[in-house]
Amino acid sequence: MNVTVLYIGSSLLAPLRQAERELNAEYELGLRIAAHNFGAALSEEVWREVEGDLGRADVVFVIHVMDGENAARLLPALEKYRARHRAVIVINCMPELMRRTRLGRVDFGQMFGGKGRSEGETGKPVRGKSLARSVAAWMGEQARAHREKKRRSHTTYLKLVERMPALLKLVPGAGKLRDLKNYLALFCYFLQPTPANIRSMILHALKEYVPDVRLANVKAVPFETMPAVALYHPDAPALFETYEAYRKWYEKRSKQRLEAEQTIGLLLMRPQIVSRTRRHYDGLIRAIEAEGLAVLPALSTLMDNREACEKFFLKDQTSRVSQIVSLTGFSFVGGPAMNDSEAAAQFLKELKKPLRSCVSLDMQTIEDWRASGTGLNPVQAGMQVAIPELDGATEAFVYGGMPAGGAEPVPLEDRCLRLARRLKRWHRLQTAPRASLKLALLLFCFPPNKGNVGTAADLDVFPSVWEILGRLKAEGYEVEVPSSADALRELLLGGDSEKYGATARIAYRMGTDEYRRLCPFVEEIEAEWGTAPGKINSFGGELLVQGIQLGNVFIGVQPTFGYEGDPMRLMMARSGAPHHGFMALYTYLEKIFGADALVHVGTHGALEFMPGKQVGLSDSCWPDRLIGELPHLYLYSVNNPSEGSIAKRRSYAELVSYLTPPIERAGVYKDLASLKELLAAYRQTADEREREQLFGVIEETARALNFQDDAHANAPSPAYTRL
Amino acid sequence: MLALTEQLLEIEQRLIPTGLHVFGRAPEEPAQADMLRMVASFDRPEAGARSLPELVAEGLALQPYSQLLDASRNDEQALRERERVDEMVAQAIELFLRAGTRAACEWLQREARVSTDDSGPVFMLLEKIHAELKVNQEADALVRALRGEYIEPGPGADIVQNPAILPTGRNTHAINPYAVPSEIAFTRAERVVNTLLDRHRAEHGRWPRSMALVLWGLDNIKTQGEGVAQALWLMGVRPVRDAMNRATDVEVIPLEKLKRPRIDVVMTVSGIFRDLFGATMGLLDKAVRVVAALDEPAELNYLRSHVAEQMHTDDCSFDEASTRVFSNAPGNYGTNVNFMVMDSQWENSATLGELFVTRKCFAYGRDARGHMIEGREARLAMDRALSRVEAAYQNIDTFEIGITDVDHYFEYLGGVTRAVEERAQVRPAVYLSDTLSPDGKVRSLEETVRLETRAKTLNPKWYEGMLRHGYRGVAEIENHVANTFGWSATADAVDDWVYTEVAKTFVLDEEMMNRLRSLNPHSARSLVARLLEAEGRGFWQVDDEMLNRLRETFAGLEDQLEGLT
Repeated sequence: MNVTVLYIGSSLLAPLRQAERELNAEYELGLRIAAHNFGAALSEEVWREVEGDLGRADVVFVIHVMDGENAARLLPALEKYRARHRAVIVINCMPELMRRTRLGRVDFGQMFGGKGRSEGETGKPVRGKSLARSVAAWMGEQARAHREKKRRSHTTYLKLVERMPALLKLVPGAGKLRDLKNYLALFCYFLQPTPANIRSMILHALKEYVPDVRLANVKAVPFETMPAVALYHPDAPALFETYEAYRKWYEKRSKQRLEAEQTIGLLLMRPQIVSRTRRHYDGLIRAIEAEGLAVLPALSTLMDNREACEKFFLKDQTSRVSQIVSLTGFSFVGGPAMNDSEAAAQFLKELKKPLRSCVSLDMQTIEDWRASGTGLNPVQAGMQVAIPELDGATEAFVYGGMPAGGAEPVPLEDRCLRLARRLKRWHRLQTAPRASLKLALLLFCFPPNKGNVGTAADLDVFPSVWEILGRLKAEGYEVEVPSSADALRELLLGGDSEKYGATARIAYRMGTDEYRRLCPFVEEIEAEWGTAPGKINSFGGELLVQGIQLGNVFIGVQPTFGYEGDPMRLMMARSGAPHHGFMALYTYLEKIFGADALVHVGTHGALEFMPGKQVGLSDSCWPDRLIGELPHLYLYSVNNPSEGSIAKRRSYAELVSYLTPPIERAGVYKDLASLKELLAAYRQTADEREREQLFGVIEETARALNFQDDAHANAPSPAYTRL
Repeated sequence: MLALTEQLLEIEQRLIPTGLHVFGRAPEEPAQADMLRMVASFDRPEAGARSLPELVAEGLALQPYSQLLDASRNDEQALRERERVDEMVAQAIELFLRAGTRAACEWLQREARVSTDDSGPVFMLLEKIHAELKVNQEADALVRALRGEYIEPGPGADIVQNPAILPTGRNTHAINPYAVPSEIAFTRAERVVNTLLDRHRAEHGRWPRSMALVLWGLDNIKTQGEGVAQALWLMGVRPVRDAMNRATDVEVIPLEKLKRPRIDVVMTVSGIFRDLFGATMGLLDKAVRVVAALDEPAELNYLRSHVAEQMHTDDCSFDEASTRVFSNAPGNYGTNVNFMVMDSQWENSATLGELFVTRKCFAYGRDARGHMIEGREARLAMDRALSRVEAAYQNIDTFEIGITDVDHYFEYLGGVTRAVEERAQVRPAVYLSDTLSPDGKVRSLEETVRLETRAKTLNPKWYEGMLRHGYRGVAEIENHVANTFGWSATADAVDDWVYTEVAKTFVLDEEMMNRLRSLNPHSARSLVARLLEAEGRGFWQVDDEMLNRLRETFAGLEDQLEGLT
């Protein structure tokens, strides 16, 4: 017997494998379940396998397939093997695919019109009990094309989950309705994808549509149900339906109170929890707890996470969590197919707690991701990074994924640790006394010379930094504020910088021994730039960190790429590692100065453009190594969302936008103003002699102003040619 | 005379930044009138507001303002009417700033018969912007972010494009790549592409058979993909959306409807676009493959014809011959052309074209077997594709970032121009569009350099605005000169007079030179050095007297800086 399942995501494969194993052990069916992830467009080779499996399949399940290209290819393949397939069960797919649902005497293509296979028979509504009719109406909605999808809240969907089994009892199990009932039963199993339900789903389909003596006596297994909305913890025996129940269990277990300040709220995908494919979640949860933080992991209410947040993360408008980490990979409000970022922002703004959206590799294997120069594939980058960003989510961090040949996602232990530490650092910013926090403000300087310190699009950097210092002092941070912006600049540019051939004052000289001890990447950098300290930002065998410390605030200058003046390096198609001086600055900030947060001042620097993956970075990517565990803020020109997004994705920056300068009409000046007056006079006078005279003067003035070179925009004009 | 008047108007009305922003500080008020006037000159369906110039033209029973704009280039009467509308709009805005929405609306009703129902939403919008500019929340946001609070998301653009960027102090976001190009972007792109092709045909007597397009994230985010849409229009395809409303496929526009040949398009894509629009890279590559495989006559499908030709002459596969989407190697950004130009160490301009290709010759898309091509080095394919290019083009969507404001324009559009010139043995025509202008203007590179020079670099309003910021202002002026120089180095697109006037304005004017050197001697030196380099490389013919004075000034600056140590 052969079953083929085409699906999306990472929660179904493990239960399918388990079902295959158990059913074969129990019934000796020789059952083979072929499963293919349709999350991204497939290659020719994979299609050949899919088509091979479809050609052998007795029963086909198509679940959550929405991708246009895959669907376009799948439709004819289903058609080709129509005679072979005893049942095709399509669940939660695009309408064209939904209409391929066919089991026994039920054929969605005929029932719900549209472009069904046989156009002759018009679909009549199924007669039956009224409840069944409402279900049929819902299915019809699934199978018809809608230009605009009605927004259904998750509550409605969950209600369906809860009510469906009851509805089902009322549908008679005979005639055409028998097949309809079967579809609904299969759908109900799928909605609660516990391993037992997935097993029942397969078994039920086989028993009903692949006649076999071995299955003759199989009885329908009741649905295993799990709460729709709940809290989860890997150590707990079961899900918790209330915060109180969770809190009691949690406080008893950890022997300490569940304080909002210490607690990270997590949003998890329900199918992963229900199907027990949650090792990646467990890994991250344990890593967060190992940092001394508490967790409150809630099942996501997928279409609208405000529901889960309101139920579990809020008590009388007060938050029970200090940060929200979404592991759903979808928008906060709207689910997989749409997003209402305005509603999300409004909710989170009132909550005042940051939203992090982190990524598990669902559509590529961990091995593929590691080997890839680009990182996340375009589907995941679009859906799980770009869309959550619209909600203000930060930290698009990869913490787990599917291993090659594996059936369920696993945590990337070291990435979970790093992410947990980043959350812990943010926690410190939230809770530690301001006077104890150390901040680093970093300026740019391009091209690197003393005239350019404070390079930033649209921004006057020294007055900006000076204003910021004043504000920080007022907020209770420990900082010495120079008397003026000019004084600040003189302080930074002065000192012994000339002696070291530096653009700014030297805050720290790092010996190579110390550099080697503190930085684990020195050898890799040496392969690129030669033995430390190298020629850039170094003096007398030491690495130079440019900057000044004013109390607990460090103001530094980021070095440039370092290859600007090196024709040989410029001509290389691929840039290499950052140079030693670049690395030394960030090593100093993290390990010696002990920064609690980094603030890059203005658009833009070099760190986020260092080599590495595009999005979904790993620990071999240089921006990831440079930023390390530090919370990162970036003051960014509001008119540059593109380079700003690179900083956000490749260096985990949270942007704080700044306004562009005032704009005015250029106006006319000097001789251009005279020319304008002459032209006005020419146009006003009707006197031919005067016009003739003016023409001469205008011609001369225009020539003096070099207008004779100008070709003219758009339409050529005869009047112009006379000039 | 009218054309000259039009050119002057273009300079006069061009919006330029007149200073720099200071983080956390609200801008000064008097500077807002021109910006608000520009905001009011566009339809704002989201605010229920129509373009104010259109409303005034309508009220005065003139022809539509957009037609007046076109007609005023060669029709005195239209020009007068246009000036009349402009003047009334300006007065209304001034009145609004002085006396508020009601006064402005009533005045417009009285003087121009614009109903308050129509003018109301316009001034409501202006009022909102005006109020939001009075308070600056950037420092508050920074302080909240440092406390680990949520920072709200916000769109990224300039105020004229999208007033919703206010308030600032937010976490700017990009867009969903699958939304690109939007329907509006696709509609708007058609007009720009037609203008572009018409202009090229008027000047060269035929369609460009192949064009090099520079695609950036910047304008495509802000316009929901107008640049992408332009590429699709040139090839004659439209985007198709799937069940999740994602633009993942293309549909061919029949030749009968297109009424022109399909242009071969070589896309040189920034690393940033590549990262932010991964899905779109796939869409563009798909479009190329679809068009190259159409069974159409060679003279109506240049892309197909070129691909067939290349498969024949190079004996290569369809995959290779149809490679058109190029960017950096994965994890790499930029052409380095800007770095090389800035550092003055390059030998000749051929080096710059080589460098551009070396950095950008990595192909993206999906091959015929459905495998992702993630930055495969394809130097030969790029050489071949560039060798056929007759015009290079980049979409510009904003006046805030002009082609001499940053070094990225010349590194890309200049870089590809030089690379084409080396391969085609002739410099391609180079165009830029100004999609923000109400009439979707297309300019040649040379025109754009002149306009930028006149409106900004040489304009006291601009440089005095910069110099109010002292040290940083001098660096800005120096950067503009260096970026202008970049257009000489890559595209020979700078007239002699530009350098001459720059020299006169900033170096030979002693008082000015003294100001520059006291505020920021390092940047002053760089500026003079750049002019000398322009002369040395033959980009600028200058008389000996001027040259000697420049050299003396340079020597003086050197002495001053050495004295400082």
